[in-house]
Amino acid sequence: MRVRSAVRQAGLVAAVAALALSAGCAKKDDSEVQASGVKLVEAGKLTVCTHLPYPPFQSKDASGKVTGFDVDVMDLVAKELGVEQTIIDTPFEGIKSGQDLNTGKCDAAAAGMTITAERQKVMNFSDPYFDATQAMLVKSGKTYKTLDDLRGKKVGVQAATTGRDYAKKFEAEKGLQIVEFEDLAAEQQALANGQVEAAINDLPVWSEYLKKNPGGFQVTAEFDTGEQYGFSVKKDGNPELLKKINETLAKAKQDGTYDAIYSKWIGKQPSA
Amino acid sequence: MKLRRRQRERLSLGIQYLVFVAIIVAVLAAADWGRLADAFFRVDIIESMFPTIITVALRNTILYTVGAFAFGLVFGTILALMRLSRVAPYRWLATAYIELFRGLPALLVLFLVGYGIPIAFPEREIPGGVFGSIAIGLGLTAAAYMAETIRAGIQAVPKGQMEAARTLGMSHVTAMRTIVIPQAFRIVIPPLTNELILLTKDSSLAYVLGVTASTIEVTKFGRDMLNDRVNATPLLVAGLAYLVITLPLSQVVRRLELRYAKAR
Repeated sequence: MRVRSAVRQAGLVAAVAALALSAGCAKKDDSEVQASGVKLVEAGKLTVCTHLPYPPFQSKDASGKVTGFDVDVMDLVAKELGVEQTIIDTPFEGIKSGQDLNTGKCDAAAAGMTITAERQKVMNFSDPYFDATQAMLVKSGKTYKTLDDLRGKKVGVQAATTGRDYAKKFEAEKGLQIVEFEDLAAEQQALANGQVEAAINDLPVWSEYLKKNPGGFQVTAEFDTGEQYGFSVKKDGNPELLKKINETLAKAKQDGTYDAIYSKWIGKQPSA
Repeated sequence: MKLRRRQRERLSLGIQYLVFVAIIVAVLAAADWGRLADAFFRVDIIESMFPTIITVALRNTILYTVGAFAFGLVFGTILALMRLSRVAPYRWLATAYIELFRGLPALLVLFLVGYGIPIAFPEREIPGGVFGSIAIGLGLTAAAYMAETIRAGIQAVPKGQMEAARTLGMSHVTAMRTIVIPQAFRIVIPPLTNELILLTKDSSLAYVLGVTASTIEVTKFGRDMLNDRVNATPLLVAGLAYLVITLPLSQVVRRLELRYAKAR
């Protein structure tokens, strides 16, 4: 009889080990393939990764709901698919490295994200949906007009963004002291506290900030970097969803929905 | 079938080894080695991380750690003495501080120091910039832990030591300073070294303060490289960089503990 207990003990060890292994490998599988061929990581939901806060593209409103330009556009896609959008707030690194999409954390990323060649290597981008310009924000009364004026001064940027990459390009040439912040909120706070003399980020982001904090700050320079935002899906992983996003974008641009969302969040359309 | 106890034990152990080996074999067989090597061990990326990871990142990690440790040690000792004081308000103050800061996440305290203080005191700067903010931010938390350790150490020194010193005509303060505290610190070196190891890792929280190329520490350096190269190799190298500090420290703790065990 005692032999059995030894065997049982070993069996238990094996069972626990197997369980640990399977828990380590297996992913919760609620996924769904829609009739259109669109794959969703969770049935009935379009799961979208973003990094908060990044107004006007995505931020929490007073009630804690995530709203913004990207949110409204992705809502159109969700509606097209007949599902609800759920938003996951996650560090930008996971989004731009493609890992959040690869590991099935979300179906798509909508994070005010610029389409770059680097990023295209690790995920598939939708058609561009927004023309972004980088801009420099300073406190009112400061006279910095160009990067040259900031020689030896501290310049705030947001980690893992194209604004950061842009500033880094001129770090040595213009003698900038670049200070990297984890998120937009910290970057803004540092500028307001005087920890940095100027802050670089996307122009619409500063426009939104100026709307909320009138008087204290001004945009003194814009850097036309030719950047365009795109939504992204897993690299070679969900062509149907990508198609759906592009179709929705094209439709929205045609029927005026896009313009309505644009003027709601960004303001007047630039005459292009 | 009847087995003797010895045989039963051997069988049980054998089966457990077998399961263990089976798991390892399964993992080894399941892994895609080429892919793993490409994701975690790209030699060209490793080469590009040197020497910056040593000359800047590791140096700053050590600097931040030592700064926070020094601040915490001095402040923690003061707190410990306050907790042992005969003056009640000192005890209350120290107890309140320890309970508060032991309960707050280090990340939150760093945010408070980095962003809260500048809001409360505009135009004032914390001396030492990022280094000062981290030394104070992490040190405030570390002091709460260290105070309790040091207090335990002081209380572990036999009462007779103080009594003997007082009998010789020493004042309480002199006896504390020259007799009790030195012995107490000998006792608490191992737990304090543990605190130093914890602080080494906590220094990675420096990223919340905003970092420049010259104030970057190991974790942020690794994360930046991960971003730039979209490859996990920098994380592996950053992890190894921490082990360069913590493994020798662990060894020191083990040696000291052994020595004390023998001395007893």
